[in-house]
Amino acid sequence: MTAEHTGTLSDDAVSPADGPILSVRGLGVDFNVDNEWVMAAEDVSYDIHPGEILAIVGESGSGKSMSSMALLGLLPRNGRSKGSARLMGKELIGAPQKTLRRIRGNDVAMIFQEPMTALNPVLTVGEQIREAVEQHTEASPAAAKERAIELLRMVEIPEPERRYDSYPHQFSGGQRQRAMIAIALANDPMLLVADEPTTALDVTVQAEVLELLRRLNKRLRSAILLITHDMGVVADLADHIVVMERGRIVESAPSQQLFLTPKEPYTRQLLDAVPYLGSKVGGVLTDVEVVDGSIRIHEDYAERALAHRQEHTAAGTVPALELAGVDIEYPGRFRQPPFKAVHDVSFTILPGEVMGLVGESGSGKSTIARAVTGLIRTSAGSVRIAGTDITSLSARQILPLRKKFAIVFQDPAASLNPRLSIGDSIGEPLYLHEKLSRADLDRRVQGLLEDVQLPVSFRNRYPHELSGGQRQRVGIARALSLRPSLLVADEPTSALDVSVQAAVLKLLQELQRERGFACLFVSHDLAVVELLASHIAVLSKGRLVEQGTTEQVLKYPRDPYTRRLLAAAPVPDPTEQAVRREQRNAILAAGTTAS
Amino acid sequence: MLFFIAKRLVISFFIMAAATTLMFFLVISSGDPLSDLGEASGSAKKATIAARTEAMNLDQPPLMRYFLWLQDLGHCLVPGGVDCTLGTDRSGNAVLPQLESAIGSTFRLVLVATVIALVLGVVVGIVTAIRQYTTFDYSITFISFVLFSLPLFWLSTLLKQYMAIDLNTWLANPQFPYLTILLVGVVAGVIWTVVVGGDRKRRLTVFGIAAAATAVALWLLLVTGWFVTPGLGPVGMLISAGAVALLWTALLAGFRRRRILYAALTAAAVGYAGYLLSIPLLANPNWLTVLALLGLTVAAAYAAGGFVGGPYRARAARISAVIAFSIGLLIFLDRLLQAYPELSARSGGRPIPTTGSESPNLSGGFWETNLDYALHLILPTIAITLISFATYTRYTRASQLDVMNQDYIRTARAKGLSERTVLVKHAFRNAMIPITTLMAFDFAGVLGGAVITETVFGWNGMGKMFVDGVHTVDPAPVMAFFLVVGTAAVLFNMLADIAYAFLDPRITLS
Amino acid sequence: MSRSDIEPADSRPQVELSEMTLASQDTDIARGAPTRQQTERVRTTEAKSQGRLVRERFFRHKGALAGMGLLALIVLLSFSSIGVAGIPGWWNKDYDVLAARFNEGRPTLTLWPFSLGEHPFGQDVLGRDYFALTMRGIQTSLIIAMTVGLVATLVGTAVGAIAGYFRGWTEAVLMRITDVVITIPTVVIAAVMAGVVARFGILPFGVFLGLVTWTGLARIVRGEFLSLREKEFVESAKSVGASSARIIFRHILPNTVGVIIVFATLAISGAILLETALSYLGLGVVAPDTSLGKAINDNRSALTVRPWLFLWPGAFIVGIALAVNFIGDGLRDAFDPKQTRIKQ
Repeated sequence: MTAEHTGTLSDDAVSPADGPILSVRGLGVDFNVDNEWVMAAEDVSYDIHPGEILAIVGESGSGKSMSSMALLGLLPRNGRSKGSARLMGKELIGAPQKTLRRIRGNDVAMIFQEPMTALNPVLTVGEQIREAVEQHTEASPAAAKERAIELLRMVEIPEPERRYDSYPHQFSGGQRQRAMIAIALANDPMLLVADEPTTALDVTVQAEVLELLRRLNKRLRSAILLITHDMGVVADLADHIVVMERGRIVESAPSQQLFLTPKEPYTRQLLDAVPYLGSKVGGVLTDVEVVDGSIRIHEDYAERALAHRQEHTAAGTVPALELAGVDIEYPGRFRQPPFKAVHDVSFTILPGEVMGLVGESGSGKSTIARAVTGLIRTSAGSVRIAGTDITSLSARQILPLRKKFAIVFQDPAASLNPRLSIGDSIGEPLYLHEKLSRADLDRRVQGLLEDVQLPVSFRNRYPHELSGGQRQRVGIARALSLRPSLLVADEPTSALDVSVQAAVLKLLQELQRERGFACLFVSHDLAVVELLASHIAVLSKGRLVEQGTTEQVLKYPRDPYTRRLLAAAPVPDPTEQAVRREQRNAILAAGTTAS
Repeated sequence: MLFFIAKRLVISFFIMAAATTLMFFLVISSGDPLSDLGEASGSAKKATIAARTEAMNLDQPPLMRYFLWLQDLGHCLVPGGVDCTLGTDRSGNAVLPQLESAIGSTFRLVLVATVIALVLGVVVGIVTAIRQYTTFDYSITFISFVLFSLPLFWLSTLLKQYMAIDLNTWLANPQFPYLTILLVGVVAGVIWTVVVGGDRKRRLTVFGIAAAATAVALWLLLVTGWFVTPGLGPVGMLISAGAVALLWTALLAGFRRRRILYAALTAAAVGYAGYLLSIPLLANPNWLTVLALLGLTVAAAYAAGGFVGGPYRARAARISAVIAFSIGLLIFLDRLLQAYPELSARSGGRPIPTTGSESPNLSGGFWETNLDYALHLILPTIAITLISFATYTRYTRASQLDVMNQDYIRTARAKGLSERTVLVKHAFRNAMIPITTLMAFDFAGVLGGAVITETVFGWNGMGKMFVDGVHTVDPAPVMAFFLVVGTAAVLFNMLADIAYAFLDPRITLS
Repeated sequence: MSRSDIEPADSRPQVELSEMTLASQDTDIARGAPTRQQTERVRTTEAKSQGRLVRERFFRHKGALAGMGLLALIVLLSFSSIGVAGIPGWWNKDYDVLAARFNEGRPTLTLWPFSLGEHPFGQDVLGRDYFALTMRGIQTSLIIAMTVGLVATLVGTAVGAIAGYFRGWTEAVLMRITDVVITIPTVVIAAVMAGVVARFGILPFGVFLGLVTWTGLARIVRGEFLSLREKEFVESAKSVGASSARIIFRHILPNTVGVIIVFATLAISGAILLETALSYLGLGVVAPDTSLGKAINDNRSALTVRPWLFLWPGAFIVGIALAVNFIGDGLRDAFDPKQTRIKQ
């Protein structure tokens, strides 16, 4: 791609090599809510140089996004910004909309988090790229279309000429984000602002998108302002890191330095909270080698794995959960074939064991979690809970069994009835199954609140008054109220900030140790699973592709999909992540060939 | 698509079948069709009873009567329509001819009112959404709540009693004192200021320009006797055509691409040429000529605009067609108004009628007849439009606000698109998606509302047929009315779904 | 990290310091402007129940408050003036007593200085006191409207809830019935039978109108149920073995109460207009009862000479409908925190 177009500002301003592309000084953002100004960001200062990737890291509410939106005057109507942000020496804050419109999409472009909602559903993808070109150049519609197709090709969309006329909903999640990147690159911006560009994507797709961003950055020498909460992504991409907390910058340092020697306690706390893939078993994919383009796994490991598995299933105890040949189908509607979400899945969890069920979106992992708890019907196979097959039971017959298993859901905001008090929510299973007196019920609820380390006074509160972490604790208390022998946890921490996630995981781990229930832990995050699970099962497109002990699966996975998944997951350490990136590319190149 | 239509037609057929059954039995069980004969004397009464029994099949059990009615209906479904009467009313007259004469005026009323309410409601709704929480927004909100709360018949009666009389009196001698002209200007200025908003300086400018322009325009209209002999004339038409071209270009394309502006002006020229050339052809045309001329003008403008547009051919051609169509409507309006002095004189100087759907025994050409229809439509249309307008405004506002908060609007802004592109191209189409459903509902509702409007304004439409039928417990006319209304409701629902799929590519019809 | 929920008070004691420092603000302001809830988190420390939040939002809505005031005033005026159910009121004339016409039956109400006079709203053609008649009409119209609101809400909620929760054949049958009824415009289906039902009195009349106006709510409630039954808290209740009845009444229905209440208010204002329209067509309330619509219909020929006979009942119809519509708007805002008002 040749740089046929240059930004309007670079013509008259200093040449990019001389100084920072963007220089932010004392930037502040506040919002007017009910005639009161609420601070969202304050005194934010940083510089971005040509070719540099600067990451702003922070948890939700840290003001990282809003401070970046303020740069281009894209704050919501009730927001205002102050301070200074100079793009190649030109002030952006307080500049008239007319000036900003010329800069947006031209000198500075943005990529947003959720590509599904960030693209207009009623316009074709090609049209949305083309108008970005037409807005800032004098290109004719035909020329702009050509440029749009070229951009689609650049972001590696297959068959760009045909896909030009597709609508966003006809793209996959990863392709949509690529299209979004194509829009952003339409006019060769000197600065790309990427707001959580991979948060909504699966880990393998994330790896590809990050790779694309890195390559484009090298090739175009544009700078990237990366806004994210994910330390792995940061380690993978960033040169310089700015850590924000509650609207203020806590620490700012080059990437290596920040990860190795964080100065501020908050940064240390944040880094400590990030689960580190391979920390428990001592590395991932350590026993997989790529030799001459094909993959080699040490045979003795493989044999040991096999032996262990037989040992595991042959044990004499009654398993807490046993799935044998389970198929799950979503019934088809008229003229629409039924959709088979799960094919022939079998696995076993022994009492007191934690099994991690790992897979990407659409792999069927949540479907299995719901089938295990009797929420949806299986179409074939058996689900045995403590020896009883629940697939053949009627709703009435299942009822007494429901005391034995419980489920914790992903979204703590949606899994509690907003109209029930916390006490009522926690007490509902007890009320239904044990018919306790009011006083006994209160006492039990109180005990459960203490178990999940919440104050007893929370009993009378409502879900909307609690934070996400607190709500998830309530969810756990409710699930454990009947002392189940099996707990199904469906992505219990994926909606939480990393530090909250750490605390909730710790609680879950302690409770599991204390009470000894078996646990099916469903997650997309391998690092989280590694922390908790003794065994891992990997699911891909409804099929179980691999299962074994955590160490086996992480260190010497036999299935190519597992290897891909492991290789794609970024770790929060720039040095190691660089090594892993090499390994990933080698493994991908080797493909499925194993010897 | 075809499959979808077929499926919907089958479903609609069964729904209509069930609905007609329900309606039929409700009607015949709603009273005694002979009760009004209580006071009549012996032999005449007997004869009437016999006639009615014969016409309404009163000697049959209710279920049988329903089947007989279905049989009558069946005759109309058979190709050729032999014996198609839709049953007979209680006097033994076939219903179909009555329906045929009534349906025209009712649909005229409902269509005109729906289109006006839709256009006005959507435009005002979008402006209120863009100017959320301003005086304009609050005022429109309040006004639409008042309109929601007005009983249709009460509003209609007030319009008839006060507005029509005063307007007619004023039209006899259309003059205003200077103070009134000034006042109208000030009011217009305030309205525009509130609509446009902005800082103090901008508000003052807008107020000044709008007030002055309105006052001067009104004064000009008065001194040139426009209200006595209305119409645009060649000069007015030229100015209007240019203004229409600029307006549509500003709205649909902006002025950044000169070629598109030139194409728009070309379209205006084509439209004006069409105006000059069509003068002899439009002396006393029929609908076919009018539509053919309109089509011809649009096609010519489409080709010319596309040619001038050069690299922007597609967009320029589309805008040119829209401009030519608008000018076509203006020409039609102009010709219609030219028939006004004649009609006004015939009505004895009181041109706005308050009753009926057309003047009896009016022997005039195409323009006289249609202007007569239009004048009769004014009052009922205002009444229906005001109430539908409130609904459309509120829904459009909510929908537009919802869309403006979507992520893709932020993306559009982040691309550096102009506010016009963001609003027209990205927001408008998305905001219209839910409105299609509302339109289908509203149309059926307005058709039902015709029952009341026609009663108030003394129209001889379907609504009157229905009300009379209900009062006399005469099922055939009531069912005929319902057949039309129900079919319209069902069809419009289907059209709404098709429009929905057309606007939203995520929806596939199957 | 796209959560925009309602968040808790900041300044309350927390258990875990680490979670406190990092997580207490775990709503991402970045995903949108902070909402009122978020600032409430900053400002208030006490817990608030959902109901109280709704109440507070409602009382912030000036239009709704004005509507409440106006409606209360009208209700108070109509019931206290001529009394109700045999209890006499403070107005000494009866609406069905004929009397000699005083000053051609013109209204004697003067606002400044305020005085009611002999016949504040004038007298009708037969010399009846129009104030008493109008008050009586308000009572009837209000009673009918309330009945309609109640019946339509109950039927609509039941049909929608059953269809939305049980799905399958139940849903197909119930929704097809709804489709059939919805095909017939309300005025049309009501007009056909109204004349007959009205002879049985105003309560049966109200019940009948309720039975033809529930369809809109049935569709809305079904939609709510369809989306709520997929929510995780409903799955959560199912997973602990809650019965269908418990899930419907304890878990789903309370969460739809917002739309139901809003519909009920709109049904009431719609019913006022429908009742008056039917009475106008001569298909509504029959003598000796009277309603606002009937009062207008009885006097429609008198509009030119005695406009007050037409204007007084009309003004009250508009007043009641307007008040109820504003209350409905306030309730909608109160139950739907998405529409938080943000001043520029």
